[in-house]
Amino acid sequence: MRSAVARRIAERSTKLSFKHALLGLLAEGPLHGYELKTAYETELVPAGNLNFGQVYTTLERLNRDGLVSFEKVNQAERPDKKVYKLTSHGRRELKDWLTRPSTIDLDQRNSTFLKLMLARRLGGVDLMGVLAAERRACFERLHEVTRAKAQAQQAGAPVQSVLLLDLAVLTLEAFLKWLDRCEAALKQETDK
Amino acid sequence: MSDGTHTVDVRGLTKVFGAGEGAVEALRGVDLQVARGEFVAVMGPSGSGKSTLLYLIGALDAPTAGTVSIDGVDLSRMDDNRLALLRRQRIGFVFQAFNLLDVLTAEENVSLPLVIDGVPEAEAARRAAESLGLVGMSGRRHHLPGQLSGGEQQRLAIARALVTRPLLLLADEPTGNLDSASSDQIMRLLCRLAEEHGQTILMVTHDARWAAAANRVIRLRDGRVADEQTLPPARAYPQVVRELESQL
Repeated sequence: MRSAVARRIAERSTKLSFKHALLGLLAEGPLHGYELKTAYETELVPAGNLNFGQVYTTLERLNRDGLVSFEKVNQAERPDKKVYKLTSHGRRELKDWLTRPSTIDLDQRNSTFLKLMLARRLGGVDLMGVLAAERRACFERLHEVTRAKAQAQQAGAPVQSVLLLDLAVLTLEAFLKWLDRCEAALKQETDK
Repeated sequence: MSDGTHTVDVRGLTKVFGAGEGAVEALRGVDLQVARGEFVAVMGPSGSGKSTLLYLIGALDAPTAGTVSIDGVDLSRMDDNRLALLRRQRIGFVFQAFNLLDVLTAEENVSLPLVIDGVPEAEAARRAAESLGLVGMSGRRHHLPGQLSGGEQQRLAIARALVTRPLLLLADEPTGNLDSASSDQIMRLLCRLAEEHGQTILMVTHDARWAAAANRVIRLRDGRVADEQTLPPARAYPQVVRELESQL
């Protein structure tokens, strides 16, 4: 089944990067699970919301693979906590991963694409109208992100915010160009 | 305007170049209104008529049919002298090429339009300084254009366009010769002029990124308005960033 394969790929790719996120945070010094969750959410991916289960299963797997080790620390009136640290193997894996090029994620499951293709097949749907509506929506988003970027720069926002906005701006711009292509190609087809 | 008059009011604007079989219809009946303080972008592929539209609005050329009114006055009712005065005093132009005079300093370039109109020297200098301040170029006032970066030269050209306190700023691909970072700066400047100083701006661009900085976008295709879109006020940047981060 396609879905089983797709799910496995998706699982691997997200888990992989999350695994490296944890290795990266531990590279700065030993931390326990809760501290890792907090550091991830406040420093690395500020809006990322992790559940504890995800943190602990990943740490278990990293420990099993010899990438991290832990030490139990006794706490008064509380259960022991595990403080994790990077092993030399883990440090090597992190360094390899940082220098190994990523596979660029091209998620082609795009609802605009689907709409255009369906509008093209179905009678009684205004294909160019659908296209225009998609373009307007995309343009509104570009407007918002462009304005946000200008504001961010004016306010002296941290570089990671500006770069993230840049990524969004350029993605939207490319999408608008692609919509122009769609318009030209589909128009030619209907004119025939 | 308190009486509701638009800064720009274009009706049925048509422009034909050439005659007979070789005639090219650059504009085919364009209607467009720009309110005071609005920042409007005109987009379209090359040959869509966008620069022609800008030139007709700027009284740099006359239409074949239709009317252009600036601040409620129909340009076709003005004689050449009044048109020249309108272009010099009520409309500020910014082009892709900066058109600065190499032998004059930044300050002299900016005050030139006033000096030509006989504004006393002290007054011209004071307004040039104010205009340079608006575009963040006060520190460069004694530089020659050749000593400035492309982005700075364009800011200087904008300062010169603003020195007459024009009713309307017309910009034709103002970032066409600039890299992405300088273009960003120019766009931020134009947004700020519209938002904080109520400057009416009409800008032509083929680039979606810069058009998205405006309040309204007009798309031209084959000499006609293909689409018009008013862009909603954007949310504050931390909100947008938070939302993008949550998708990581």
